[in-house]
Amino acid sequence: MSAVTTPTAPAPSLTSVFVRLKLSLLRNGLRQSGGRTAAYLSTIVFGTVFAAAIVLAFVLMRGSADADSIAILVTGFVALAWAVMPLFIPSGDETLDPSRLVMLPLRPRPLVRALLVASLVGIGPVLTLILVLGAALSVAHGAAGTVVAVLAVPLSAVTCVALSRAVAAANVRLLTSRKGRDLALLSGLVIAVGMQLVNFGAQRLGQAGGLESLEPATAVVGWLPPAAAIGAVDAASKGDHAVAAARLLLTAAALAALVYWWQRSLVRLMVEPDGSTIGAASDAGTRDKSDGAGRLGRLLPGGRTGAVMDRSLRYIGRDPKTKAAWVTSLAIGLIVPIFNAFQGTGSIYFACFASGMLGMLMYNQFGQDGSGFWMVAQTISTTADAYAELRARALAMLAITLPYTALVTAVTAGILDDWSRLPEALGLALALLGAMTGTGAVTSAVFPYSIPQDSGYKNVAPGQGALAWGSILGGMIIGGLLCAPLIGANVYLHVSDQHSLLWLLLPVGALYGWLLVLAGLKLAAPRTANRLPEILTAVSKG
Amino acid sequence: MPDQAFDGAFEKAGAATGTAPAAGAVPAVRIEGLWKRFGQQIAVNGIDLVLPAGKFIGLVGPNGAGKTTTLSMITGLLRPDHGRILVAGHDVWADPESVAEVKARIGILPEGLRMFERLSGRELLAYSGRLRGLPGAEVDKRATQLLDVLDLTGSQNKLVVDYSTGMRKKIGLAAALLHNPEVLFLDEPFEGVDPVSAQTIRGVLERYTSSGATVVFSSHVMELVESLCDWVAVMAAGSIRAQGPLAEVRGSAPSLQAAFLELVGANGRAAAGDSLDWLGGGAGPAATGATGATGGVEG
Repeated sequence: MSAVTTPTAPAPSLTSVFVRLKLSLLRNGLRQSGGRTAAYLSTIVFGTVFAAAIVLAFVLMRGSADADSIAILVTGFVALAWAVMPLFIPSGDETLDPSRLVMLPLRPRPLVRALLVASLVGIGPVLTLILVLGAALSVAHGAAGTVVAVLAVPLSAVTCVALSRAVAAANVRLLTSRKGRDLALLSGLVIAVGMQLVNFGAQRLGQAGGLESLEPATAVVGWLPPAAAIGAVDAASKGDHAVAAARLLLTAAALAALVYWWQRSLVRLMVEPDGSTIGAASDAGTRDKSDGAGRLGRLLPGGRTGAVMDRSLRYIGRDPKTKAAWVTSLAIGLIVPIFNAFQGTGSIYFACFASGMLGMLMYNQFGQDGSGFWMVAQTISTTADAYAELRARALAMLAITLPYTALVTAVTAGILDDWSRLPEALGLALALLGAMTGTGAVTSAVFPYSIPQDSGYKNVAPGQGALAWGSILGGMIIGGLLCAPLIGANVYLHVSDQHSLLWLLLPVGALYGWLLVLAGLKLAAPRTANRLPEILTAVSKG
Repeated sequence: MPDQAFDGAFEKAGAATGTAPAAGAVPAVRIEGLWKRFGQQIAVNGIDLVLPAGKFIGLVGPNGAGKTTTLSMITGLLRPDHGRILVAGHDVWADPESVAEVKARIGILPEGLRMFERLSGRELLAYSGRLRGLPGAEVDKRATQLLDVLDLTGSQNKLVVDYSTGMRKKIGLAAALLHNPEVLFLDEPFEGVDPVSAQTIRGVLERYTSSGATVVFSSHVMELVESLCDWVAVMAAGSIRAQGPLAEVRGSAPSLQAAFLELVGANGRAAAGDSLDWLGGGAGPAATGATGATGGVEG
């Protein structure tokens, strides 16, 4: 333990100060809001159940041929998660932010030691420890295996945490810059896509001869710290003492190297500018240099319509929350019908899923502006202004969603080889897109809610959750009901065997959808114009 | 701001803008019995206020006095509970016709400065000008000039989200001036702004008022208000404590700061700090413990 500060007073050690600081921050964070406490407690409950299940699963796996593969790969996966986590969830831990420590007279070595111990406090590290313990339990046999396991379990858990901190410290420049914060906002998307990939991989694994196909991966990961520590337990249990020792030493060496790397980054960070300074100083002069509206603007109509469309379309690429919403809608709208079609369980009507997902992008238009909405509110004084504003937003959205809906429907028809049903399905999809766009315009005006920009996980400000869900669910139900006449007509034509008339659903659906958009805009415009201050208040919360 | 500068400016005003009202005729802002409450708290407590046209007007008050709430209600961003607000003779909260008249005549730079931050400075100006219905070519011409005068040309293609505080205030000011409003409302325009940017903003505002337009800005920096404004309204706890020409509000007090502290009743706090007897040179950082600061205080 390091004794710093004055010799007169018995100062507490730096490590215990940091651990207590961490606990206080945790406690105060929970005291701040009941919702946070509830979330934290449910995380603990969920985590405990999860950990118990994992340990049980590992224990049950003892003795099975694939136990070593699973134990090593799971540990490797956990380490990978720790390594990438700080890139997506930055500054979750205030005690570890070097910018808060620069003013204090601290020496690097005791500081890093204290920080490392403090980072072990929390749900994540404890869960990791349990997980690694389970992994070790599943492969440890005999006295040698047990002895190595006693060393390996804490070693690999600490290595995971050190890895995470070292990566975070090395990337502070990225994480404190605007680009890093944008990256963090996209994390939900990365996690969703990653889960799809894992899901897909697991399905492939099930088909391709089971867990034996993991052997080569195990051979490699078993030498990579911290999974190498679990590999050491496995090797020791199998009698390969030299291999076990080598793997254990490798992990210990990796831990030392990580801590050294972390310490060097910390020292550097305390005297160098962070990303925010660099971002402000550098001139990002790579943007479209043309006057005013730019290249995109020249394609669009003039006046308010063009300006609003231009802004909406630019925001799809530039604003992380908008981008995430669009990419999610576009991806899921494509994945659901096409995956179902590939698996042979699909129907061409699944293509309507795409128009439903994309139509939801019209919901809460003003919430997407945030408190920047005042600029819009300042220029709307009549119903006609509000109509022009909403119509331009709908046009910007339809400029992408309309062709995309047609594309998804056509691709689904192609995979199913069901071209004869393309017109009716497309007609339904267009009607649904119109219904969602129309109801979206109305709910944007009547039920606006704020989308906090500071967190990637909050899409609704506290107290507005019910409003958000209510407007989306209500809008979806009404959107579906509005399409009922067309669905009825489709069913009727099928049942009454008038297949030659089914193509009519395409022009009728397109026209009906267009009318629904117009009706929605007409309904929404006066409500927007009359409620500007209320909308501004609602979208500026949080 | 010396008075003769304004006297001289008024002659130019009519010729230059054509839309500016004659001095002394219609006030820039007239407020009658304005009320706003948030839950239990009364933010604006039935105020009456007349702000003359063609002046540089400071709305001053401590934090939480209701300045921002009042400005929000004047500019149509927050609905009042009671009261009437006329801007350049048009009722802000009456029929859409008069609201349109008001919105076309005012420019605002709100506090907090949330804008469409994912646009570049130039794109933001292009967007807000077109929203206001100005022709595209005219918007681009004015944007170029404003960016130049406000020293933002070098950063015009950078996203606003990457701007510094001073740059954000300047681009906000440019957006507020783009349509040549009659009355400009600025909420804390100099807060967190460096001296160079502050001087630039000041220069633009002085040029703007000298042509007969009105600037209403809120602040709690008295030296600034004293050096810029010729007309002052003092707010505290949701009420107007004083309003009138700067010299009148200042009265016999040595400075506006002193007069302000008197008006808001904050003079009693000036002598605080007697209890910090350990603070100062000689004590040294190692002297821990609460008592026995024997040699700590000099003089």
